[in-house]
Order: sequence, then C-alpha cells, then structure tokens
Amino acid sequence: MLKFRLLDRPRGLHPVAVPVRPGAPLPAPLAAAASAAGFEAARGEALRLDGVEERTVWLVGVAPGPQGMEAAGALAAASMAEAVEGGHGPRHGAIDARGLSPEDAAALAMGAGMRAHRLPHYGAEPPPALRQLDLLVDSVEAAEPGLARARALLRAVGFARDLAAEPGNILTPPAFAGRLEVLSELGVEVSVHGRGWLERHGYGGLLAVGRGSAFPPRLVTLRWPGHGRRYREAPPVVFVGKGITFDTGGISIKPAAGMEAMKADMAGAAACAGAILSLALRDSPAAVTAVLAIAENATGADSYRPGDVLRTASGLQVEVVDTDAEGRLVLADALHHARGLRPRAILDLATLTGSIVTALGHQRAGLFGNDEGLRDAVMAAGEAVGEPLWPMPIGARHREDLASDIADLRHCLPPGGLGPGWAGRFLPDACHAAAFLREFAAPDEGERIPWAHLDIAGMDLREEGKEAGPYPLPPGPSGYGVRLLDRLVADRFEA
Amino acid sequence: MLDIAFAKAALPESGALVLPLAEEDMGGALIAEWDRLLGGHVTRGVAAAEFKGRKGQSATLLAPGGGLSRLVLVGLGKREALDAAAAEAAGGNAAAALGRESVASIDARAIGGWAGAPADIALGAVLRAWRFDRYRTKEKPEDKPRLGGIKVLCEDPSAAKAEWAPRRAVAEGVFLARELVSEPANILNPPEFADRLRKLEKLGVEVEVFGQKDLEKLGFGAMLCVSQGSAQPPRMVVMRWNGTDQKKKDSKPIAFIGKGVTFDTGGISIKPAGGMEDMKWDMAGAGTVSGLMAALAGRKAKVDVVGIVGLVENMPSGTATRPGDVVTSYSGQTIEVINTDAEGRLVLADVLSYCKKRFDPAFMVNLATLTGAIIVSLGHEHAGLFSNDDGLARRIEEAGKAVGELAWRMPLGEAYDRAIKSDIADMRNVGAGRAGGSITAAQFLQRFVEGCPWAHLDIAGTAWSSKDQPTVPKGATAWGVRLLDRLVAEHHEGRQATPEPEPAEEEVAAVTGAGSASPAVLSEGTPATEPLLPAPDTGAGPAGEPAPVPLPTRRPATRRPRR
Repeated sequence: MLKFRLLDRPRGLHPVAVPVRPGAPLPAPLAAAASAAGFEAARGEALRLDGVEERTVWLVGVAPGPQGMEAAGALAAASMAEAVEGGHGPRHGAIDARGLSPEDAAALAMGAGMRAHRLPHYGAEPPPALRQLDLLVDSVEAAEPGLARARALLRAVGFARDLAAEPGNILTPPAFAGRLEVLSELGVEVSVHGRGWLERHGYGGLLAVGRGSAFPPRLVTLRWPGHGRRYREAPPVVFVGKGITFDTGGISIKPAAGMEAMKADMAGAAACAGAILSLALRDSPAAVTAVLAIAENATGADSYRPGDVLRTASGLQVEVVDTDAEGRLVLADALHHARGLRPRAILDLATLTGSIVTALGHQRAGLFGNDEGLRDAVMAAGEAVGEPLWPMPIGARHREDLASDIADLRHCLPPGGLGPGWAGRFLPDACHAAAFLREFAAPDEGERIPWAHLDIAGMDLREEGKEAGPYPLPPGPSGYGVRLLDRLVADRFEA
Repeated sequence: MLDIAFAKAALPESGALVLPLAEEDMGGALIAEWDRLLGGHVTRGVAAAEFKGRKGQSATLLAPGGGLSRLVLVGLGKREALDAAAAEAAGGNAAAALGRESVASIDARAIGGWAGAPADIALGAVLRAWRFDRYRTKEKPEDKPRLGGIKVLCEDPSAAKAEWAPRRAVAEGVFLARELVSEPANILNPPEFADRLRKLEKLGVEVEVFGQKDLEKLGFGAMLCVSQGSAQPPRMVVMRWNGTDQKKKDSKPIAFIGKGVTFDTGGISIKPAGGMEDMKWDMAGAGTVSGLMAALAGRKAKVDVVGIVGLVENMPSGTATRPGDVVTSYSGQTIEVINTDAEGRLVLADVLSYCKKRFDPAFMVNLATLTGAIIVSLGHEHAGLFSNDDGLARRIEEAGKAVGELAWRMPLGEAYDRAIKSDIADMRNVGAGRAGGSITAAQFLQRFVEGCPWAHLDIAGTAWSSKDQPTVPKGATAWGVRLLDRLVAEHHEGRQATPEPEPAEEEVAAVTGAGSASPAVLSEGTPATEPLLPAPDTGAGPAGEPAPVPLPTRRPATRRPRR
C-alpha cells in the first residue's frame, strides 16, 4: 500500500506532480513550457517537464467534474508509477497540493492511492511499485484529518480488491471466512457458520450451491456494533454479499473463454467486508452487520442439478432451472438471515447477471428495491463517490415469469422461456433475479423492511480498454461498493 | 370495430349481460336489482362460483333467466383502486369472456367517480375485441368471433356518448397501427406503406411522400444505405396535422418520428433464421406514429403535429451495404457501418436531422424497435425511454402510467457516447461488444437531434405481445399510440384532458343488431357512421388521387403548446 507523508515544503529531489486547474496561473517557467507543449488542464492530461526545475515536474490537469481532483491524483500517481513499473525511476514521489483546500488534498491522496494499490502477486519477483508519496500542503495540521479518512478508505477498498483478486484455489470458502477474522481486531464481531449449522437451520439454497465443491460453504456475519446507547439499541443496517469464490456455472457449466474472471464472483461479499472495515476504522457510530453467503459453485458428482427443487431457509421451495444462476440462491438464504436481524434497511451487492451488463454497460450498476427513499440515498451516495448506479424496475410480469409448475417459484427462465420468435431470444434476467430476491428480502407477508439490490456484475472488474469508473485505473478488481456503502451509512444512518 | 351504444339500465331481451363488480358491491344494491329481474340467479351464481369481485376474477353464469344467454361477472378489485385503467381492463376482460355471443350489454354502473367511466369500459372492450383476419380465407363462420356490438348501461348515456367520441378516434388510431404492424412484409413494403398513409388525408392530415430520387437529392446517405440492398425503393412520409389556428409558418409543432423497416433480414450481417419472421414488425415505430396521427386527426386535436416515418427494407444482396462501409448522413456527419443489422438508427438519423432542420419542433419523440438489448434490460412490460430533457421524459412516463403503456427511463452519458467512436469516420453505428447496447444506440441518435428536446422510445420489447393482455390481444400492440395521444392531450392542448366532444349524433355508432333477435333493446344508438379509416382493401383510388381535405374544426381560441 502506498505510504503518505504530509509536508509543508518539499524534501528530496523525487518527481513532483503539480495539479493544474483550467485557467489557473502557473509559475513563469512552467507556464512557458506548458504553453509550448499545448498543455490543456481541462482535458485531464499530464505533461512531464524535465530540466525546468532540479527535479522532474509533472503538470497534471484537473478536469472539471465532481471527481476531477481525485482523477488528477490518480493521474499523478500513474505518471510517476509508469516509470517505476518500467524498472527505472524512483519509488518515491510528491504531489504539490499547496494552495488547495484540505478536501482537495485528501482527494488527490485518494486518487493516488487508488491508482498505486498493488494487488496480490505470487511471482518470485513482484514488479516494482510506487511506495511513498509526499503530499505538500500549506498546513500539515489542517490536512491530517482528511488524509486519515483517505487512508482508512484506501485500506478498506484495498482489502476488497485484494480479496477479489485472489485465485479460486487460494481463496476457497473456508479461506475467505478465515481472511475475515482479522476484522475482529478492530472490534467487529465475526461469526462463521459452517455446513452443520447451515443444515440444522435449513439454508438449502446456500448448501445446494456449495455441494459440488470439495470446500464447504460458509455463512459469515460481520457485526460492527456502532457505539453510544442510541446506536446500540437501534436496529442495524444490514449488508448482504454474494461470495461465490469461484463460479464454474456448476452442471450448467460456463464456456471456457473468460472463465478465469469468475474468481471475482465474490466481489459483492468482498465489498461488504471492505465497507465494514471502513466503518470500523473510522469508528462509525452506526450499527451495521454484513451477512456474507460464501460458496464455490463447482461441477462435481454431488452438484445440484437443473430441475432440482430446493427448500430455502425461508421455507419457499425453489425450482432450479440453470445452476449458473447460483448467486440468487445463496442470496435468498442470506437475505432471509438478514431479515431475522430485524434491520432498518437491507442492501445486497452481487455480481449477479450478464443481463445488467447488456443493459447498463460498465458505467453504472443496476439498482433495484422496494423503497424510494433508500433508492434515492443509494443513488446519491454512488454519484458522490464516483460509483454510479441506475434504477431498474421489478415489474409484475417479471414476477409472473418465475411461476413454476412444481414449486413455489423458479429462480430464472430457460433460454426462449418468454415464448417463441425473435423477442423470445432475449431474457430480462437482471429483472427476473431481482424479482426472485424480492420474495426473500421483502415478502408480501411479514414486516416491510427497506431493501436495495445492487447488481454490480459490470462494475466489479476493470477490464483492459473498457471503461469503468470516473477515471482510468489498471485492470483488475475495482472494489466497487466499498466507498458507496461507507458514504451511504455516513449520509443516511449516522445522522 | 365493435359498435358501441350507451343506454339507461334495463333488462336486455337477449344476448349476454356483463356485470363488473367491485369487492364492495358483493351483496349490494346492484346485485339485488338484477336478482329481482333474474329471479335470484345472480346471488346464487355468485355464491356457487365463489365470486368475490377480486381484480381479474370472472365467472360465467349460463341462461341466467330473463331471456339472457349468459351473465358474465367481472371482478374490479377494491373500489378505492378503481381508475380508468381498471375500467378498461374490465371492458377488455368482458369482451374476452363473451365467447360466441353476438350481442352483449355491460352494466357500467359499478364503475364511477369520473365522467368517462362507461366510455373507458367501452374502449377496453373495443381494444380487446380487435382481430386481424384478412388472410384467413377458410375459417368457418362458426369459428369466427361474432360479437358485433356492445351496449353500455349507465346513468347518463348522452354524457357517455360524448366521452366516447375521442376514445373512438384513439381506438381507430390503435387499429391502424396494429394493422400495419400485423401485415406481412411481402404486402406491406415501403411504397405500399406510404400509399396507405395517403388515406389519412381524408381525416385532414397533409401527407407528403418522398421517393428514392427525392431522398437522394436531399442527401439521405444513412437511410439510403439501408434500402440499397432491397428491390423495394425507400419512402419517407411526412404527415402534418394542424389543429390550431396558428399560421403554418409561425407554428412550432411537436414531432413524432418512427422507424419503419418493413422487413429486417439484418442485411449482410444477416440474422439467425429462428424467429426472423418477427422482423415484419420492425416497422412498429412507424406504425405507431401513423396510428397516432390518425388518432389526433380523428379527434381533431387542437395541436400542430408533424409525424415522419422512414420506410425501408433491409435486405442482403449484391448492392447491399457492407460492414466497414462509410456513409454520409443528411446532417453531414459520417458513419462507419460496422453492423448492417443496426440499421434502424441509420434511418432515424437522417429523419431526425431533417425534422429538426425543416420544422424546428418544440420537441421530437421517436419510436423504434431498435435493440434486442432493451428486452434484456427491461423485458416486455416497459419500453426503454431515453431523453435529453427531464421534463419531457417525466411527462412521457406519467402519460404511460395513465394509459397502461409503461416506459422506463434509461441513462445517457458521455461515457456511453465514447463507445461509438470510429477510427475512420465521425462515429460507428454500434459500440464494441454487447455492453450497454440500447444506450449506445440512443447515444447514436442523440448525435442527430442537434440540441432539440428529444425522447427516444425503444419499443422492441413492447411492440408485439406473445400473450393476451386485458386490452391488447396477442400480436401487434400499437404500444405508444395511446401514450403519445395522452401526452398531447395532457400537455399540448391546454387544460382539458380531452377536447370538447363532437355532437353525439355524428360520432356514436350503434349496435346494428345484426344476428340479434332483439333490435328493440338496441334502439338507443343511431346508425353507424362510416369508419374513420377505410380498410386498405376497399378499393380506394390510386395513391395520387386528389383527396378533398376537410378542414379541421376551427375554434376561435388557440392555446400554444405549454412547456
């Protein structure tokens, strides 16, 4: 992880990045060079200047927009890191935030930290990385709280990104649960439920999905108690995460091409865990619990089959159509578990459907739910942190489509399931999945609990050449959701 | 269309009686009244059928007495939730439940609270009873639907008649759209489509048809590259309805634009064979705009409207456009055609920029069966709504909710727009990969609206229904005609939701009594007027025939569209 140091004047001769707002004046020698190169700050571009000062200077454009300063921080780190990653250039740099507000300085640190984060590497010689960044500010004291906040968030996002990057043979369900134990050092109550407990409590969805694997499933709860009388007595907010450590598709096996990306099919659970870490690090007063449904969807002799009927924890009987739609089955049990905690709100995050990628691409996650207030708050939190979403519908037809001939409902539709002809080739699977989840998160009978479902299938991985997020970052797990949940709790559940 | 008449409640001498009932009506005065006439049959039947008046519930009581052949009970659900949509659904369900009956009455008195309730029931029944049977030549008479008319029993028949007139016009528009969409592509090619639209002149619509040469002269490079593979020449039809007193040159009309690919093989990027027959309805956007123009003109809407349809056939051939070709659109922007099956946006591009340039409308709304991705996104209950104008989008959503044609707003944005960058031209016609396919299509269209307030409705999931719905039989839905008619009525004709109705005698059709032994019960209506739209096979003159253009009723005061 990138180390930050706050300084009020430069020390050493490592390269320095100077953020430039459009129209802002530059010192004369820099201005002449910028003008000669045709540098335009508004485009969010970087310009390397050697020889103007003793050290290398990077001019970094701050593009207009809410994430402009953070993007400039990322661009600064990227500019310096490229040299480092190429095997030459110092592993130490600086960003000159003097003349900027403490918020802007923190945003620069946030962006630089997002860009400089190094994912796990199992080679003998991990590639070199940028290690340290000096943040030059007018007042070290004034900048300290913002930087502390950025450090906590970066650690939380990094935690989620690292988990999602771990290969399926290393991060098995028991290993995933084990990795979450570290949170207990920060005051998070970690409970891990194994196969025996799941069987005793009838968690048939999670058990069925995990059955084909040599590694048994786990249901993990991470309870951050909050603090203060008022919060301790208040019902918790519950995050629910899909944690499929590897998804082969099961008997309905996926095509081979691209299957390696399925190691990140637990990104929803990782984001929930990361958010809990963030709340603990900043000692949030709000009580929040994460319920993580962790399993490997493997192809095995004891795998569950298309056509099987499962009794889920809520008692609903579900007909399995396609074993590759496993996420909604483990979430069904986790959502039921979440309701048992009598929460004030439930938010689930899942890399659930390809359909949502067809719908919204890699720019926005899909947002479903039963509560307009919660929906608007999630939308606002997402916009604020650069993790945008778009509201999507659960229509009456979507629920009707899930009618089963043999059980209470089926969990998805087979190809062509909406009738013959051209239009029948296309299935609104993201909406079907959300309609399915609603039966468990917000059943008609029982107390009404505000619920939001975030289908993050298009957002969990940044792919080479495919945009995701407000500014470019290297390919790999994005940690999408950590900052959003942290922000949502801060804005809606701490006040 | 079913003949509709309105009358005070009285026992019909024969035929069927439909009794819509809310849950609160069970055991109430209405049932008691019919029980008196039918010797207690209603109460006995309600008990035996366990009919509770729940929404969507229905029960049929055969030979209920009083000379009736059947009594159909239709559940309305809770009274507090009763609205126009519920009334229409009840009418639709009633029409579906009438089976082989040829004449029927509906007692609308359980539905009230607003003036148009009886007319709403009638509209639902009429919309559901529509059938496209031009090509069934061997159907036995006993297999054909026989329902010829419905009499709606209500408190105030003359008020109901007045409410019915504009609804009837809208139904005519819906039927025109459904018919166009249902027609096979060997019959309805672009020239034939244009010829049929000429018939709208009889309603007072100005119709201008542009052929191949005209379009070449205009420089419609995008639209023409789609049609160039087909033996059928393209057409663009401009329809204008001027319902205000505004001089044409001062008028700032509103504009509706439709994609009219009469058949879409995909071109050189040919589609898989399975389901390709459905591509006859790839002109549903154009069909809807045509139906909308018929509806607005039919009810003499006080609004200036332009409707434009781009009509082409997309075929693979030696002259067809190839993937990789670059074409220059009417706007001057160049397009690299990556996939010839993304042809709808090429047609719309030229029509949108032409409409903006020539009419400078207050807003443009286009409809198109544009992408399969919108079905993957939303399914078949909502159309995708894309707009650069939040107010317009909200008004469309609200109008859709009011008439049961739902639209769901989808996002636009610069990040999506980047997906259609081309290395060789101003843009590509598809993004890379399937991600966000409907959005990138909308971004493409947005490049041609030149700042005009605009909404794009992707109706690929809603134009055709694989199952019966209460007011929409399986097949062509005409999705959008009613929504846009409502949008115009609510926001562009002043305060009134519907215009002043025509004098009742003019427009109200009667139950003709054909096949019925009891003309007496049907005496309420007056002789049917000519259908508003002659069927295309009734031997109308050649396309060029100068049709007398009846001027729409002028009214002294004119309200400018409110925005």
